[in-house]
Amino acid sequence: MSPNIRVLRDIKARHGVNANEIARRAYLYVARNQSLPASVRYQAQLQLNTFGRYTRPSTVKNRCSESGKGRGIMSEFALSRFQFRLKARAGEIPGVKKASW
Amino acid sequence: MASIAASRIAALNRLRCNIFQTSYNPESIRTGAKYLRARLKGPSLINYYPQEINMSTFIKGFPDEGLVDLDEEQRLQDIIDKKKRGKGTPRKARTPQESRRNKKRR
Repeated sequence: MSPNIRVLRDIKARHGVNANEIARRAYLYVARNQSLPASVRYQAQLQLNTFGRYTRPSTVKNRCSESGKGRGIMSEFALSRFQFRLKARAGEIPGVKKASW
Repeated sequence: MASIAASRIAALNRLRCNIFQTSYNPESIRTGAKYLRARLKGPSLINYYPQEINMSTFIKGFPDEGLVDLDEEQRLQDIIDKKKRGKGTPRKARTPQESRRNKKRR
């Protein structure tokens, strides 16, 4: 199934976070370091604010890779609970089968 | 039991940090080290969604092969045909006066 816009946006965010992670960490280190002068920390914080929206890790959300749903996701399989059930019953997820005893 | 001077305890702590190679930080000043110490999340983040192989990405991967995405060609041809019959998408508004959104609001 082709990904919907929310999934595409999430993919964009993931790549943005990956590309800017090291630079952001460096600025975070300076901005949060209390042993550095306040002016330097302030400048670092201003630099952090110039990063785009899709460079922050908090914009990344695990979504269903099959349906694009954002809630009820089983992260290990990247599937929503319903898609997980469908796939598991169809035997498409290795090592998962319906419990019966 | 005799009380121990605070300066002596501080000296002991400093020595202890020296021996065990930990940083001596009696005032618990934030050093920001946790941002450097933390694992980089990016590499695992970008592998969350399984890679999907479709015709357009396949063609992009081999630009010299002269492959043609028939579905895409058909879509573009349909757009041309629709435009010929005057059923194309409306022109983008150049000025605020042209905008149809404004007309609805009034």
